[in-house]
Amino acid sequence: MDKSESRLHYRPAGQTLRKRTSEYANKIFHYVLLISLSFVFMYPILYLISRSMMQPADLADATVVWIPKELSFSNFINVFAELKYTETFTRSVMNSLVPAMIQTFTCAIVGYGFARYTFPGRGILLALVLFTFLVPPQTIVVPLFILFNQFDWINSYLAFWIPAILCQGLRGSLFVLIYIQFFRGLPGQLEEAARIDGANAFRTFSRIMFPLARPAMLVVFLFSLVWHWNDMFQPGLFILDTTKFNLTQQLSVIYGLGEQELTLGMGGSTAGMIGVVPSQGNRIMAGALLTILPMLILYLFTQRYFVESVERAGIAGD
Amino acid sequence: MKFRLSMRIRHFLEGYIFISLWVIGFSAFMAIPLGRSLYYAFHELNVTSDGLKATYVGWKHFQEAFTIDVKFPSRLISTITSLFLEVPLILIFAIFIAMLLNRQFIGRGIFRGIFFLPVIVSSGAVLQRLQSDGGDSLPIFSQYNLFDVLRNVIPPEILRPLLDVLDSLTVVMWDSGVQILIFLAGLQAISVQLYEAAKCDGATPWESFWKITFPLLMPMILVNTLFSIVNSFTKRDNLVMEYIQSVFKLSKFGYASALGWIYFIIIFAIIGAVFYIFRNKMSERG
Repeated sequence: MDKSESRLHYRPAGQTLRKRTSEYANKIFHYVLLISLSFVFMYPILYLISRSMMQPADLADATVVWIPKELSFSNFINVFAELKYTETFTRSVMNSLVPAMIQTFTCAIVGYGFARYTFPGRGILLALVLFTFLVPPQTIVVPLFILFNQFDWINSYLAFWIPAILCQGLRGSLFVLIYIQFFRGLPGQLEEAARIDGANAFRTFSRIMFPLARPAMLVVFLFSLVWHWNDMFQPGLFILDTTKFNLTQQLSVIYGLGEQELTLGMGGSTAGMIGVVPSQGNRIMAGALLTILPMLILYLFTQRYFVESVERAGIAGD
Repeated sequence: MKFRLSMRIRHFLEGYIFISLWVIGFSAFMAIPLGRSLYYAFHELNVTSDGLKATYVGWKHFQEAFTIDVKFPSRLISTITSLFLEVPLILIFAIFIAMLLNRQFIGRGIFRGIFFLPVIVSSGAVLQRLQSDGGDSLPIFSQYNLFDVLRNVIPPEILRPLLDVLDSLTVVMWDSGVQILIFLAGLQAISVQLYEAAKCDGATPWESFWKITFPLLMPMILVNTLFSIVNSFTKRDNLVMEYIQSVFKLSKFGYASALGWIYFIIIFAIIGAVFYIFRNKMSERG
């Protein structure tokens, strides 16, 4: 501040004015850019909200673009039952919240081992962690399914829990890498002090190092939870019993039913003209909104941590 | 009876105990399945009363994939092309947004929150539903009849795909939430003094981007490239993934494994190339 004021003394008045206007123009341009881009980023959620409130009449009405004529939650009420929300929600929690919590804990242990210990074969094992992250899941689909079938884990939560305990599962190796990066950044004196005070390796970890890893834990937990929640690949593979479907699967089911209803009932095109398609579509949009609602609420409260902890946990290392 | 282990051995052992969970998991859910799927790829699997029976068929599945199967090669090619198109776009876009967000301004936190929103919303089932409802792309380009306007200037054969790419840009943008954050973290680690020094020496912002920002972001670019590639395997519209799953559901286990391996080899060739390029780039600077 002081600096710029002192400059004013030896600068012609015109120049500072020009400089100031260009600064303002720059700022305005910056905001315009940001706001228009954020519209693009908000678009899916705005679209979902708007469409899920609409009734067939609104879609036929050309004057309605975003805001429906009357406020009605009937789509939500209908789809809530169709989704069997309370049941499927519980199942989604069981196969996303639980593995997320497990991964947060177990990947920390492994990450700590890699970050703070040197042992023969460490380099190769580390390379294998990265390798695991890079292998497309498509490649091991078949043997994994056969293996889980042998263990009788198909249609059971164990298919999600056991791999999580062993640091595999959905992107487990990425989480290990995040912890490695984080623990590497902590000073070594912490452990030395604990050792001198007589704590063994495991006590040092559980009492000192693990609690210190809170920023990394937050990143891992939140990402694991969101990715598990939205994942369709694993549930599609391991949960085949339709009575055991989770939210995302059930959403696909009602979508499929809607299609069937339409093609069976009347020709698709006439249905479209009468406005049955849109009403079904709106219900599905309401269903989609209900499916991600828990994550949206979570994000609303943890948004800060999501963003800041990624920066603080130092994922962006080498 | 008491063992006295040397400090060194003890240190090794403790390390192994910490990572043992992962070692077990890796063997059970990665190494063994990977080996088995390679074995299956060369065998025909039949479900019999006493479990699975494998008969050796050699390279038959691999040959079939490229000669008899009509769907697989085209799906593979389109998946790989979209990978090559989208990953650079995501990177450029993410750097751009990260630089916009890296300035100090009012409402920065809110904007950061917004740019990360698609990571929560538009993955998986929800985006699929949006897609089927036509809500997956902003109708900016198709809405204003740009096609009709520009048809006289640009030949339609070029114009149509161009507009399609522009419309699908929105989906690309929604895929860049995590990458934006990683770049943002990288940008914040760059000391402001570097830019000030460059400014004193008369560098334009454009020059200081290429001479300071870009080289220092190199590690994040590598991380983000890898992440974007990996992300595209598991994306909802990955055609190869869908196809392998459909083959798998038909109980053609051997064939599905072979397809999985073809995909795996191609992806690893790409990742290897990425590593090679970055290694050269980074060692150039020393």
